[in-house]
Amino acid sequence: MRSIAFERRTNTPKWLRIAVPMFGIAIALVLGAMLLAWTGHATTGTYRQILHRGFTDPGTFATTLVAATPLLFTGLTAAIAYRMGVFNIGGEGQLFIGAMFASFVGLGLGSAPTVVVVASMILAGAVGGSLWASIAAVLRDRFRCNEIITTLMLNYLAGILIQYLIFSSHSYWRELTGTGALFPQGRMLSERAQWPNPHIGGTPVPFGFIVGISFAVLIFVLLRSTRFGYRVRVIADAPAAAKYAGINARRTTFAVLALSGAMAGIGGASDVGDFRHTLDPKGLQQAGYGYTGIVVAALGRLNPIAVVFVAILMGGLNTAGLALQGPDFPAGLVGTLQGLLLFCTLGGEGLARYRIVIRRRAGSASRSAAPRSSSPRSAASPTEAPGLATGEVGG
Amino acid sequence: MKRTAHIGAVTIAAALGLAACGSSTTKPAAGGSTTTQKPSGSSDNGSATCGKPSGSGAYKVAFVYVGTVNDGGWTTAHDKGRQFAQTNLGDKVKTTYKATVKEGPEAAAAIESLIADGNRMIFATSFGFQDSMETEAKKHPEVCFEQATGFKTSANFAEYFGAAEDTDYLTGMAAGAASKNGKLGFVAPFPIPEVIREINSFALGAQTTHPGATVQVAWTKSWFDPTKERQAAEGLVAAGVDALGQGQDSPATGEVAKAKKLPWAGYDTDQSANFPDNWLTATVYNWGPYYQSRIAAAMAGTWKSGSYYGGPKDDFVGLAPFGKLVDQKTKDAIASKLAGFKDGSFYHLTGPLKDQSGAEKVAAGKALELKDILSMDWFVEGVKGSPKG
Repeated sequence: MRSIAFERRTNTPKWLRIAVPMFGIAIALVLGAMLLAWTGHATTGTYRQILHRGFTDPGTFATTLVAATPLLFTGLTAAIAYRMGVFNIGGEGQLFIGAMFASFVGLGLGSAPTVVVVASMILAGAVGGSLWASIAAVLRDRFRCNEIITTLMLNYLAGILIQYLIFSSHSYWRELTGTGALFPQGRMLSERAQWPNPHIGGTPVPFGFIVGISFAVLIFVLLRSTRFGYRVRVIADAPAAAKYAGINARRTTFAVLALSGAMAGIGGASDVGDFRHTLDPKGLQQAGYGYTGIVVAALGRLNPIAVVFVAILMGGLNTAGLALQGPDFPAGLVGTLQGLLLFCTLGGEGLARYRIVIRRRAGSASRSAAPRSSSPRSAASPTEAPGLATGEVGG
Repeated sequence: MKRTAHIGAVTIAAALGLAACGSSTTKPAAGGSTTTQKPSGSSDNGSATCGKPSGSGAYKVAFVYVGTVNDGGWTTAHDKGRQFAQTNLGDKVKTTYKATVKEGPEAAAAIESLIADGNRMIFATSFGFQDSMETEAKKHPEVCFEQATGFKTSANFAEYFGAAEDTDYLTGMAAGAASKNGKLGFVAPFPIPEVIREINSFALGAQTTHPGATVQVAWTKSWFDPTKERQAAEGLVAAGVDALGQGQDSPATGEVAKAKKLPWAGYDTDQSANFPDNWLTATVYNWGPYYQSRIAAAMAGTWKSGSYYGGPKDDFVGLAPFGKLVDQKTKDAIASKLAGFKDGSFYHLTGPLKDQSGAEKVAAGKALELKDILSMDWFVEGVKGSPKG
């Protein structure tokens, strides 16, 4: 009997790592062109518009950065945790709690100098996101609760909590005077507490985006060049070796989850400081930044630097999608095009790492246990997708 | 999600002295339709410096929606209004829209994109777009902005909404008459004044055709979430209600009612064709003529900012066609109340009104003032559930 199996490549050639995503994008463009033609839309015109309205038009690039900022943070959230095989699905909730903490501080320090308020909000957001992620860390450590489940559940809890603060209570966050009497809404930050918007090359850049890039670089260095990063990599790639080497996996897991949550929390702080200037549970829950961040991290192969570029790419696709849609171009078609691109690129990623083999079944099962992570990490992509790094493959 | 909230706030804002809307309205006209300002604009805080046609092509107007155009409710109704205006104004105008736009930074991005495309007028139909609209209006004084359900205005930023509480009283009458056990259910979005007064009106209407009727409320905390709406409706049915009403954007409640063979009063859009067996009626907004007149005014350079709160009187809100479950006697009763709303001889939010505890909240003969209506945070007697959500 024959069977088809995915077998892990023991060594992924460098050219393949570059060729595959390119090929994935090409496939997506071809499929997308077929879809566009089939629905009666101009193919090249549409692609040109995506490029123009998402990226090259200076006016809309500012919008792209706005859309990219929260995704940068939630992308980092996922990338850090997944790098160690800790599946933090809770970027969403950690971002909510970060926004809650940061708005608390931002409202309280309203009259302090901007630099003090901004720094305090970033810190508060980080603490909030960290604490929320630590709940899952404790549950994992003490009760062996799967963090996928707990972080997911904590997302709902965080959503209900911020909703309660604005809609169902007279909390510190809620505006009760003026129009607040007409519709439940959060108090607005004072002008001084709103984050600056420096212009770089004529394009206004959200301050949070600059903060996000700084953290991306820091985390890249942390994972690559420090003892902590080394421990993370050993635990992820060779748990047994880590144990022999006396690496404290528990403590490292805590640290990674806390750091991961801190990123989402700062994303929440940026949402309040950069954009909404208030705690907006309804808007935050619609946005789904946390979940999109998982896609961003996967597309960036968990490389913090790549996450920056993928976040911009996703932000641009979003901005271009808004520009495209209208009575003749339904939102669903925009979403399908975006989905094709993501699916083909991520699907190709799997092929770069695994090969498809056809073999006889009898007695071949043991062969599937391919050696793990024997591929040397190249400078260009020092990380590997988590599911692939830790999952067993078999025929 | 959706939209939201609120109200006519406009009026409200004026009534509460919150905003310099320049309106002198202090209470709803008897008849409940508090038309503070006609669409043609009697406001004094806006003159048509925005929206002047640029270039010689068709005049471009855009709509920003929070849901999909086929949500079968709120957004569908707005898009029908857009098409109505487009059809009547013809080639001189080119309307477009952006659907499923998320509240917050994405709304601002959509508006920027539309302005870059040359749109001279932006309508946004969700309360959650308010802050983005306000910011963009400031940034683009040459463009006219209009938002449904909000309460902020400026020289180039107007608000509009309708007195759904008036017609919800009438849909409540239909539901009360159709209920056998007098237990009605209402699937409600957010615990905010707009929704609370709609529920109160629904209950008061039901109690006229079914004395002692109660209305149990299930909150979804979402404008548009068919799954949650369905679950809420199922919960109500499980609790024993035998007729349903709603303040949601989708007809999911109606699907539950259809499956359970229970009468249903909808909201926003006429769904009688899809629910022939259990349809009662619904409050429907008549957005089309408003959009048409506002666009025409902007093109002519006579557009003015302001806050418009339409009602049954000017046909801004009305009732969808009745289903077969509504008997002639009920139809006649509803028709007479509707006539009362229109000529100002009847207004339902008039004392004596008792709150949930049975204590008198509004003395006999006293009509609620607009500010009380627009900030209503209490349920009338017979409503089960918490007005805090």
